[in-house]
Amino acid sequence: MFENKIEKILTKHWSEIDPLKIRDYLAVGGYSALKKFIKKSNREKILEEIKFSKLSGRGGAGFPTGMKWEMVMSQEKKEKYFICNLDESEPGVYKDRTLAENNPHLLLEGIIVSALVVGAKKSYIYLNGNYEKANNILAQAIKQAQENGFLGEKILDSDYSLQLEIFSGAGAYICGEETALINSIEGNRGEPKLRPPYPAESGLLGMPTVVNNAETIANIPWIVLNGGKRYANCSTKLFILGGAVKKRGVFEASIKTTIKEAIENLGGGILDGKDFWFAQVGGASGRLFLKEELNVPVSGSGAVLVVDKNANIYDLLLSWAGFFRRESCGKCVPCREGTFRLNEIAQRLRDGEISDRDKIAVEDILWTLENTTFCPLGKFAATAWRDAVEKLKIFSK
Amino acid sequence: MLKSATAEKILLEFDPQKNNLLLALKEINANFGYISKDNAKKTAEYFSLPLSQIYETASFYDLINLEKAADLVIKVCSGADCVLGGANKIVSEIENYFRIKSGDKFNPKISLEIVSCFGMCAQGPIMVINGKIFEKVTTSRMHEILNEYV
Repeated sequence: MFENKIEKILTKHWSEIDPLKIRDYLAVGGYSALKKFIKKSNREKILEEIKFSKLSGRGGAGFPTGMKWEMVMSQEKKEKYFICNLDESEPGVYKDRTLAENNPHLLLEGIIVSALVVGAKKSYIYLNGNYEKANNILAQAIKQAQENGFLGEKILDSDYSLQLEIFSGAGAYICGEETALINSIEGNRGEPKLRPPYPAESGLLGMPTVVNNAETIANIPWIVLNGGKRYANCSTKLFILGGAVKKRGVFEASIKTTIKEAIENLGGGILDGKDFWFAQVGGASGRLFLKEELNVPVSGSGAVLVVDKNANIYDLLLSWAGFFRRESCGKCVPCREGTFRLNEIAQRLRDGEISDRDKIAVEDILWTLENTTFCPLGKFAATAWRDAVEKLKIFSK
Repeated sequence: MLKSATAEKILLEFDPQKNNLLLALKEINANFGYISKDNAKKTAEYFSLPLSQIYETASFYDLINLEKAADLVIKVCSGADCVLGGANKIVSEIENYFRIKSGDKFNPKISLEIVSCFGMCAQGPIMVINGKIFEKVTTSRMHEILNEYV
């Protein structure tokens, strides 16, 4: 059997830790990165290490974390905010939830170190509103961290202070986009804002704000302890295997893992008796990969959905179109109307009532979504459909 | 929180700052099942915001209702993994059996919603009844589960 011979950074202690007990985390060396930062290091040194590590955003966009932090650190405004993005509403992606539920203190330690380094005194976890279990676990963990002096005033008797609050969302995919997320915390509709200004300059309540994905943050303690240069050579990532594979779930593996390796080594290969058709990488907004295209690294959020030849493609097309129709915020016309019409066509397609006019319309709609929407949601809505038209040739059957 | 809590009592738990608005609306929604016109007005007064601002925020989010929910609210996940596992069959079975259509709000007793991913793909198909999550649902298990509610 294949052995995953990497050093685990994120999932290392998952099986030995009771997520509700801080002493389990302390027993495996927890919070020593925070102690190291406060007693033996400083903000500039940690920033250097993060830059060496080449750590980049694990939410999908892959922006370099060190660069994001530096932009906020260089701002002169006194008040700064740090937000952990745990909105994670992409269908098929649940790595951050699994991380928070299995080792919440690893995430908290990452948040505390990150927030202190960028100079924030107030931080938030923006949590998906459906994640009730994770909410309870994180709330308990925050309480324990406060009782142990890792959070609150004068952390570990230093001059650093930090408040951390969970902000539970209310069910909106677009709130995973950082400007929409900030709007949501401010009590507004979770619609994206025009950038620039970027949140690094003018974020929450107009102050410089860092928004990092939860998985990204969970890497920070390891980098603080072991150094950025070492991390750069052994970076890992969480992968989510779904669909027609033997083992579905969340796995940690090298960041260079290809789609083929993920399916065979992590997912245990395709189910017996099933015939591989294509894989969708990155959730509902992800591209489709045919059998001969699998030797590339898994990109984006790390989700790999394996679809076999018996699957009903029309059900899937409707699943994608329906999702983006529901989640389009309505702010711009091309996305609001485009996703609506695409969903209508998907329904007709599934019911076998597709007309030639619809086929032409799909081409127009996809082009409009790809090129004219305000935020990337429109582009996401078109991605899988575009590949289904061009690679799976859904209309020429 | 007790079901007898009034909107006034719930509101008093929050500082009347706008960044508490969504949290307050969620709490009222959790207690009453929706935001009534009356409670929307109370919220507007408490936060010193125009009523339109309350609706502007409340109407955006899936987890906040502006109309009284049906007695029995069935949600079926439509994520790709659940769909590959047969979620659409469950939807059409419910539609035929109860003579309702997903998304319609005409029946005050029962409603069916097709919803986005719950992040529980490895346990799919996922069905949620009045907030309770059921995993690995098949059409026959769906009937067993619903028999306990109807």
